[in-house]
Amino acid sequence: MKVLELKNVHKIYNSSDIKVHAVNGITLDFEQGEFAAIVGPSGSGKTTLLNMIGGLDIPTEGEILVDNTDLSKLKSSRLIDFRMNNIGFVFQSYNLIPVLTAKENVEFIMNLQKWPKKKREKRTLELLKAVGLSDRINSRPSKLSGGQQQRVAVARALASKPKFILADEPTANLDSKSTETLIEIMEVLNKEENITFIFSTHDARVVKRAKRVITIEDGKVLTDLRN
Amino acid sequence: MRCLKYFENNYTMKNYKLAWRNLWRNRRRTMITSASVFFAVFFALIFRSIQTGSYGYMYTNAIESYSGYLQLQQEDWWDEKTIDNTFSYSETIEQLLLKDENVEATIPRVESFALASNGSTTKGVMLMGIDPDKENLLSDLNQKRVKYRITPEALEKIQGNDLFSEKSKEAAALFVGSSFTNEERLLLDLDIDIEEADAFLPLLKKYAHYDAEVIKLGEPGVWLGDKLAQFLELEKGDTIVLLGQGYHGASAAGKYKIMGLVKLPAPEMNSRVVYMPYDIAQEFYNCGNNLSSLVIHLNETDDKSVRKTKERLREPIPQHSRVVDWKEMNEIMIQQMEADNQSGILMIAILYMVIAFGVFGTVLMMTAERRREFGVLVAIGMQKKKLASIITYEMIYIGLLGIALGCLITIPLITYGTHHPIIFKGEMAYMMEDYGFEPKLVFMPVSYYFLWQAFIVGLMVFFSLIHPVRKILKLKVVTALRA
Repeated sequence: MKVLELKNVHKIYNSSDIKVHAVNGITLDFEQGEFAAIVGPSGSGKTTLLNMIGGLDIPTEGEILVDNTDLSKLKSSRLIDFRMNNIGFVFQSYNLIPVLTAKENVEFIMNLQKWPKKKREKRTLELLKAVGLSDRINSRPSKLSGGQQQRVAVARALASKPKFILADEPTANLDSKSTETLIEIMEVLNKEENITFIFSTHDARVVKRAKRVITIEDGKVLTDLRN
Repeated sequence: MRCLKYFENNYTMKNYKLAWRNLWRNRRRTMITSASVFFAVFFALIFRSIQTGSYGYMYTNAIESYSGYLQLQQEDWWDEKTIDNTFSYSETIEQLLLKDENVEATIPRVESFALASNGSTTKGVMLMGIDPDKENLLSDLNQKRVKYRITPEALEKIQGNDLFSEKSKEAAALFVGSSFTNEERLLLDLDIDIEEADAFLPLLKKYAHYDAEVIKLGEPGVWLGDKLAQFLELEKGDTIVLLGQGYHGASAAGKYKIMGLVKLPAPEMNSRVVYMPYDIAQEFYNCGNNLSSLVIHLNETDDKSVRKTKERLREPIPQHSRVVDWKEMNEIMIQQMEADNQSGILMIAILYMVIAFGVFGTVLMMTAERRREFGVLVAIGMQKKKLASIITYEMIYIGLLGIALGCLITIPLITYGTHHPIIFKGEMAYMMEDYGFEPKLVFMPVSYYFLWQAFIVGLMVFFSLIHPVRKILKLKVVTALRA
């Protein structure tokens, strides 16, 4: 089942009279449960592509369909709700809410979605257990290591059972051990929850573990390989 | 239970919580911002309390020393205070006025101008013919009689007595010629501690004793304002010469024994008033049974009661007379107070403006620092309006912290000040009296002006919020995430 379709997507930035074609006619689709890496050199358009897939940016041309909904057609507030219900985000620098504990960070989106308390807590504890942090549920981000913070971020992204998770270079700030742990967790959750993971990366170790590797250069798909 | 459950599950509750926690992320900044609001509230409240309290005190003094709340006058008398514009008094008028439920008594007055002289010194004075007993109902003149006076003789005795400290001797020298209506003020100005009072008071009473003799209807004799006595260099027992224009062109002249001095809280009155029994004044001005005014002493003296009584009395009063209220009689003072009040408000506005810029600076910094965080929150699904509401709560908390702390500290201070006005002593008191002010700062009790501060801080918070809320509502997630 297709969860995401990109049809001839372009993104052109106009700055100081210079046109930058960051994404240049990309057409892709993703099935449910995929574990896909988007790779490419710096400036190749990975982040722009992920931003558009996540509804954070609007394509200059083309369509991005999530469950047959064209993201560029949604109004701002509806788009935010759509993201909340369908897309999970993992950022390079974790971006947890510093004043909330690990548990509260994971609960945050469920709170926004007004889940009942019991259901919310059950899901949170399950996810924190899955990412190996059941002993740190009451710790604030400042008391967690980078790897632990990123695991909380993954749990947060999964909390509301989104259609897919977008991770922009999730291991860029992590050491090798933490990278290994995080990738393992993502793999397990990908299988257990059957949620699509799409992540951009430079890290060869991460690329190796991906089931599908999409290489981008100059805003175009160079290769799209499946393991 | 249902209610609790609602709060547990309710998202708005979480906004409150999140905002509260955000507030303490940068503890120092929150404290500094709240402190600036606190100081603004604190100073504004103290300043307003003293300012409005002092106005109230001055109004009361003016009313109780002179005008009363209402007066019955001949219709032209207020505009031209000559003895010709007086009205014929009869008991019928008094009975008519006393019929009103709010009228407690009537106090007759014969008031006009005269020249007072002693030797070659002359001064225009306000001659007040009063009924000494009835006058006490309003102005409590008996309490304003000078009971002690630092005369040159008294000073000599104080300075010659080694029991007095050098400090007290210096203070006595400073206050030579000054009058006192009670022992507390005498001790205060001479810098004598309460603990020492028992030892020194008998001596002081002996040296500075200056009690006035009473003035009575039918008996010639006057009381002088103490500053007037100082100017004319007159003392109790001396004779004052008064010269004025009597009724319908008659000349008014007379010599009267000074029975004593009075010290009034209104310095302007103090330097020009001469009290005498009103029947003696009628004789002096040759005006028969005429009165210049009949002070209408009221039971209820709030603005509304005064206004309603004035309206009710419009009908029964005689032709060619009118009822005038205290605001009309003290118009200049009210205008001066109003002008002073406006300048006070302007000062507070400037104070708040400075604080508002400080708060705005904090908000500006906070918005810039948290741009990325705002981006993340909107990216993961928080509506911009919700995010703006969290920032609003944060600002409201800062404002509330400042207001609460300001009120918490100011309320006891003002309550204390209301019961214990600041009374200046020594040189400061002397200087203030010299400038025509009573050396006393009176606080206004906690009242509506507290609500104004909350309103102003609320306004300040509101204006400070415009920037971050606008930034959030116009937030571009991608740009914010790059911040």
